[in-house]
Amino acid sequence: MMTDALVVKNLSKNFGGLRAVNDVSFTVKKNETLALIGPNGAGKTTAFNLIMGFYKPDSGTVTAFGHEISGLRPHEVCNIGLARTFQVAKPFGGMTVLDNVMTGAFLRDAQPERARSAAREAINFVGLSAREKFDARDLTTIDQRRLEMARALATQPKILLLDEVMAGLNPYEVDQAVSLIDKLSELGVTIVIVEHLMRAIMAVAKYIVVLDHGQKIAEGIPSEVVKNPEVIRAYLGSSYVQAKEVLHD
Amino acid sequence: METLNIFSIKSKRIFYILLGMIMLVLPLMIKSSFALEILIRILLFAFIGTAWNLLGGYAKQLSLGHAAFFGLGAYTSTILEIKFGVSPWIGMFAGGFIGMLASLPMGWLCFRLKGPYFTISTIATANVLMLIFLKFRDFAWGAEGTTIPNLGHAPLMMQFETKTPYYYVVLGLLFSALVITAWIERSRVGYYLVALGEDEDAAEASGINVNKVKRNIFMISAFLTGLAGTFYTQYIYFIDPQTAFNFNISIEAALVSIVGGVGTLWGPVIGTMLLETTSALLQSWFGNSIGGIQLTIYSLILMAVILWRPTGIVGYLKEIYQRRSNAKGAQ
Amino acid sequence: MTETLIQAIINGLLIGGIYALVSIGVTLIFGVVKIVNFAQGEFLMIGMYITYFLSSFFGMDPLVSLLISMPVLFLLGVLIQHFLIRRVLGLNDLPQIFLTFAMSLLLINVCLMLFSANYRSVHTWYSDEALNILGIFIPLAKLISFVLAMFLSAVLWVFLHTTDLGKAMRAASQNRDVAQLMGINPNRVFAVALGIALALAGAAGSLLMPFYPATPMVGQLFVLMSFVAVVLGTLGNVRGALVASLLMGIAESLGIQFIGADSGLIIVFLLLLITLALKPGGLAAGWRR
Repeated sequence: MMTDALVVKNLSKNFGGLRAVNDVSFTVKKNETLALIGPNGAGKTTAFNLIMGFYKPDSGTVTAFGHEISGLRPHEVCNIGLARTFQVAKPFGGMTVLDNVMTGAFLRDAQPERARSAAREAINFVGLSAREKFDARDLTTIDQRRLEMARALATQPKILLLDEVMAGLNPYEVDQAVSLIDKLSELGVTIVIVEHLMRAIMAVAKYIVVLDHGQKIAEGIPSEVVKNPEVIRAYLGSSYVQAKEVLHD
Repeated sequence: METLNIFSIKSKRIFYILLGMIMLVLPLMIKSSFALEILIRILLFAFIGTAWNLLGGYAKQLSLGHAAFFGLGAYTSTILEIKFGVSPWIGMFAGGFIGMLASLPMGWLCFRLKGPYFTISTIATANVLMLIFLKFRDFAWGAEGTTIPNLGHAPLMMQFETKTPYYYVVLGLLFSALVITAWIERSRVGYYLVALGEDEDAAEASGINVNKVKRNIFMISAFLTGLAGTFYTQYIYFIDPQTAFNFNISIEAALVSIVGGVGTLWGPVIGTMLLETTSALLQSWFGNSIGGIQLTIYSLILMAVILWRPTGIVGYLKEIYQRRSNAKGAQ
Repeated sequence: MTETLIQAIINGLLIGGIYALVSIGVTLIFGVVKIVNFAQGEFLMIGMYITYFLSSFFGMDPLVSLLISMPVLFLLGVLIQHFLIRRVLGLNDLPQIFLTFAMSLLLINVCLMLFSANYRSVHTWYSDEALNILGIFIPLAKLISFVLAMFLSAVLWVFLHTTDLGKAMRAASQNRDVAQLMGINPNRVFAVALGIALALAGAAGSLLMPFYPATPMVGQLFVLMSFVAVVLGTLGNVRGALVASLLMGIAESLGIQFIGADSGLIIVFLLLLITLALKPGGLAAGWRR
């Protein structure tokens, strides 16, 4: 469909007998923010890696805006318009913040001066302007996250994959991150976030897909997903679900 | 890369012009042939180091097999000269070109490995090339090698009777390599090199075709190193596999950059100045009587740099400057 | 024909035992400390010179000198880990590669200065003896070395699997962070790993002396073989390194017998190529397709 930004169909990936991602399908609509949640080890980051081309799927397809991108190399996927941040930030440590983001901006414009101003825009957007000249390795964790986001934004993505950007942030920082994501959404970017923090998910996500042990166990709008017993069981175990049912009776 | 703008553009220009003028008149002011020899060696290894630095310093692909390209360049031009009468000026570029071509399969093979295993595979490749040239007498004189017939004064065949013209040739080579490096540093390629050197996955995710960038910079690095091979052969009028594919060339190419400052424009030049001067001093004190002393000193310097100043001399100077300017900024 | 074949295989197997000691050391260091020890061959060389001088000055048999060369090299390993390796852990490739590379260069050239490039040999009563079994000649010196090499490998195996420290090393090799959480002191474990690896290399040197001359460059010949064996046997896998080393010894011997005297390096290179073709990204963190 024309309104589909990202279509993941029957995506599977094995690692030597371990089924990291098992026949997962979901669709992200254009300009939607979708949250990919699930307990640790559910396969969320693997799904991101598959979408971005770091792994080749064993079966299944990934389509972005009608282009099939499964099997493409990450830089080709980025060129088509997807960008990602990494769960553990991967800045170019020896380069300054500005240089880091310029590296992303260069994808769209090879001319250094123009790339520099495009980079500055992205840096400004995430609120890192004051630390433009800092070496990336000297940044705090949250600033490194911001840097990741700025660098990804500089590639002018239509779809942004954010991998646990909230991890380890204090409530104030979480609010800042949430408002950044909102701003991005306003600009028309389609966003897929992997997250654990319920508060953030409820604040930004329009739609949720839940993975457990590599399989999709639920999907829907946030208010429904949180009530889904399967989801609760995956996170908290069956005894919790039984207890809840007893209490409700 | 946003090079640290310590000096204004104007003062930089003045500096370069002055430096250029000094380098141009230097040989005319030096009477000692020995001193000129040392200068030529410094310029040559600074050139080789600068070529290595593109791949090993900026992109952090730590090759210890660059002697492969040095040797290929040397043999290409020598074969063309002796067997086909082709001028080494042309042979030099042919040699660089062959080196460039060789970097493609070598890169295909070696880049599949990461980290230390990349390095080991480059060593192995250069070694294998030496073995091949040691064995095959049919096209390249085997283990004894050959001398270049001395034509006296024959500038068209890259032969001169005094050392001075050689100085200018190698100065030209170094100058070209520095210009290329400076240009790359400022352009998109430069950023891409440093990015992939820091983190290949993050680089890919930012849209960089890492394999292509590695391949291309390897080709450039190999090409330049090949030119050096031709020059050296013409300079010493001799070639054999042990000399052309000598592991010490690979070592020094890496060493001068590490000591001087990897990933910097002037690092290899400064590193060469330090190492070659040390080497010359050692030679004048001990002659060739103590085998192994040069490399002993080199390895000690390398260890010292790695343990205490891994960013090299230039890196260290930059850090000092940055600390001073941060202190000033804080006031 | 079969006799020549069997002879070649036996010869290769025997020298493979020496390769194994060197390779196990490399793979142990790589697995536990996560660095490639470029200088491993040089510690073999040091073992050889220790044995040579003990033999020259005291008439000590090389096999007895094991009792000295191994502890000395163990101590050397601990010191190197404490003063040098420790300072580059956690840094990126360049310091780690070039530190041990510099060590290698230093050791070779210091020995060159001290001992010159002349070959030094040790002659024992068993240096020229050979067993004759069904027409196959088994050089006694090589056989003894092989048996002792296998014995040392077995001892190591027992150590890694039964002692606490050995298990700690295996744990650190498999998962550094979890191991640390469980209270295992990494520096102590690294020091022991390095000590053991160097002791094994030194042992290899001592075991070589009865039938192989010492020279500063000798380590370089053995280390390339062992690097390929380590790759073939999977990085960090001790048993793999052992098996691969024996196989490579056999392959080299067959090459020398049936192809030519210089085929050794070509064979090594070919094996490296084949490994790369079969396991291309096998040495990376597993991220690539």
